[in-house]
Amino acid sequence: MVWFVQILGIGLMFALSPLFWGITQTTKARLQRRRGPSLWQPYWVIAKNWQKDTTVPEFSSLIFRLAPSITMAALVAILISIPVAGQVPASWPRNLLTVFFLLALERFWTGLAGLDAAGTFGGLGASRVTTLGTGIEPALLAALGIVWGVSGHATIRPLAPLLHASPARLFPWVLASVSLALVLLAEWGRLPVDNPDTHLELTMIHEATLLEYDGRFLALAEWAMALKVTALATLGWVLLGPNCRSLWANLALRLGEVGLTAIAIGVVESRFTKVRFFRIPMYLAAAAGIGVLAFYLVAGGFSG
Amino acid sequence: MSQDWIDHNIAHKQAGDELLSLTATRDGQVRATWMNPGDGRQTSYATSVIDNHFPSLTRALPEVAWDEREIHDLFGFVPQGHPDLRPLVRTPRWPSEFFPLGAKPIRCPAWLDVEPDNPARTVQGDGITIMKVGPTHAGIIESGHFVFSLMGENILHLDIHLFQNHRGVEAILEDQPIANAVPIVSRVCAGDTVSHQTNWAMAVENLAQFVPDPLLSLRRVILLESERVLSHLNDLAQIPAGVGFQRAHQQALAIKECWQQGLKQLFGHRLLFDTVKPGWAAGADPDALLMLIRRLRQQWTPWRTLVEGHHGFHDRMTGVGVVKPHDAERFGAHGVVARAAGQARDVRSVHALYADMRPACILGQGGDVKARFDVRLGELEESLRLLEASAMRLRNENESPLRRWTVPDTLSGRAVVFTESPHGLNVHDITLDCGRIARYHIRAGTYRHWPLLAQAMPGNTVADFPLINKSFELCYSCTDR
Repeated sequence: MVWFVQILGIGLMFALSPLFWGITQTTKARLQRRRGPSLWQPYWVIAKNWQKDTTVPEFSSLIFRLAPSITMAALVAILISIPVAGQVPASWPRNLLTVFFLLALERFWTGLAGLDAAGTFGGLGASRVTTLGTGIEPALLAALGIVWGVSGHATIRPLAPLLHASPARLFPWVLASVSLALVLLAEWGRLPVDNPDTHLELTMIHEATLLEYDGRFLALAEWAMALKVTALATLGWVLLGPNCRSLWANLALRLGEVGLTAIAIGVVESRFTKVRFFRIPMYLAAAAGIGVLAFYLVAGGFSG
Repeated sequence: MSQDWIDHNIAHKQAGDELLSLTATRDGQVRATWMNPGDGRQTSYATSVIDNHFPSLTRALPEVAWDEREIHDLFGFVPQGHPDLRPLVRTPRWPSEFFPLGAKPIRCPAWLDVEPDNPARTVQGDGITIMKVGPTHAGIIESGHFVFSLMGENILHLDIHLFQNHRGVEAILEDQPIANAVPIVSRVCAGDTVSHQTNWAMAVENLAQFVPDPLLSLRRVILLESERVLSHLNDLAQIPAGVGFQRAHQQALAIKECWQQGLKQLFGHRLLFDTVKPGWAAGADPDALLMLIRRLRQQWTPWRTLVEGHHGFHDRMTGVGVVKPHDAERFGAHGVVARAAGQARDVRSVHALYADMRPACILGQGGDVKARFDVRLGELEESLRLLEASAMRLRNENESPLRRWTVPDTLSGRAVVFTESPHGLNVHDITLDCGRIARYHIRAGTYRHWPLLAQAMPGNTVADFPLINKSFELCYSCTDR
């Protein structure tokens, strides 16, 4: 049963990730007083690109053609290592450090893909993605430091029952949640860090590395972007969100939570403007600081 | 003789006069027209083209750099001593003997089959990236080719290549009878069309010594200010889009749409094409106009509160794209760009149409994106006030119909006319000969601002360029012609 629910959970999250993207888009449209396209629009866009011919820049290498599959594979691997319904079979690989390294791999290949076609925008995008990465990676580590603080190792499992057991741990739990939310907005490339909807090529960060892609590669990259949001939101909710006893209830809860995250992203993107590129380190430093504080409060005996 | 030409022009600049136009004629004259901004008095100078050369003013007056390059490209006259004679309008596809406004006109030359080649000015050195953007862009925008020299995220130099869509409007207008001009002049640019039409109408009326009655002037003020509201709404909508502030962007576009639908009802055209002719202007029911303004204000006031209270938006606008007052002066900046840099330049103060309206001159501080945004906010409300005042006056005016006037068909002479378009001082330098157009030169509001935009870019980050560009909101169509 645990096997079945875990595999079903992974399948559902993978298949529904464009829908969650659509929920964000619809939320934004409504807050801008537009009707906006249908919730299913991301599927149509991906299907459209999938059917198109795929062209490759003349002087690009194998790297350019491998990058979309590798980034997609890294994200799928991240999704697999998350106990979507809270529990997984005993032998299931679920190490948090693996997630970090897979994210680093994804970022590395995104940057390579941007550089490989030798376009100016791709290069600029690759430079920005890697620059941001040096800030995002430690901030994410700090935001999730609470996992080590609570259990002393890096297994992905629901922490909320442990944190809620003592009232003194509630405050670090809040801090960790805030920190994680801030870092994930940056990791997803959403406002106030990056604007996934812009057509202004000079301001793009992640999108700039995808400018040379079309056809199936672009479809894959679009699905990967949606999957990144879904997978990391699932990870966050599993670690810090509420947890039920029943597997099925947990699975349903997770879907609702990720849907809620999609709406929240839409609200945040409507409230904020993009910050200046050179101010993003301040933003990430604040998120990391909050995360480190949560870690010390839990690990440093404050709970005792 | 040539020293005279340079001295006269420098003297006018030093006296604080505005350069209205600098252009050539087919028969080898180069003419400059200056205006005293205090009383509107105009002075013209001419110099002859000798042996295909004329003395360049650019080293002393950088604001005429593009005018002289344009003369070089279109007439074939060489400005002697010009520091940068790269093609401005010409493309490599033009045969070398083809000068569209030159002494020997060739209507339809055999275009050469060569690749476009824009020799851009770039910075050379280690670690410098050359980034080329355009002429086709990712959004629905006009065609411009921008070559950035970057050091990391920082802009060191920007070279702008416009005239990608040069239509040859000035050549088309030559030899046209007066009656044919309105539709062409109307379509020089959709953003400043009323201003262009009014210029043409005033030129014909000035040459025919026709004095417009107050009703006609009032109608033109209403059209000009309606255009300013439309244009400023558009520009104010575009600036938030540059920083991902989609909510303000979309809502402002909705307000603009409401205004355009109102214009369609009142004047019959969403962009106000063909609303001003010599001796005539489209009229509107004052009550319907007042109603439209009231509807606009209902949406405008909450929008203004939204953008004025948004900290992140203000943070992005402050201190970027700064136009220094010294540069504004040197490049002859006008309109919103100059006023945001603290310079009170608004030709409505000397314009006959606005004789008893006294429009307030809204000034900004700092010359950055925020100053230009704030000046537009203030000017839009000032335009609404002028519109309301005009509508009230129109209502009190007794219902006398517009005096019918037919344009005399043997009109001759030269007139340099101007209006304050939403993008600044818009000048037409028109010569008529026996009821036909002999020469039609357009120096629109944005023409003088493009070089200034390039001047203001170094020191900013490349990611801020769309925001800064949108805060200038320079028209390509008026410039390319």
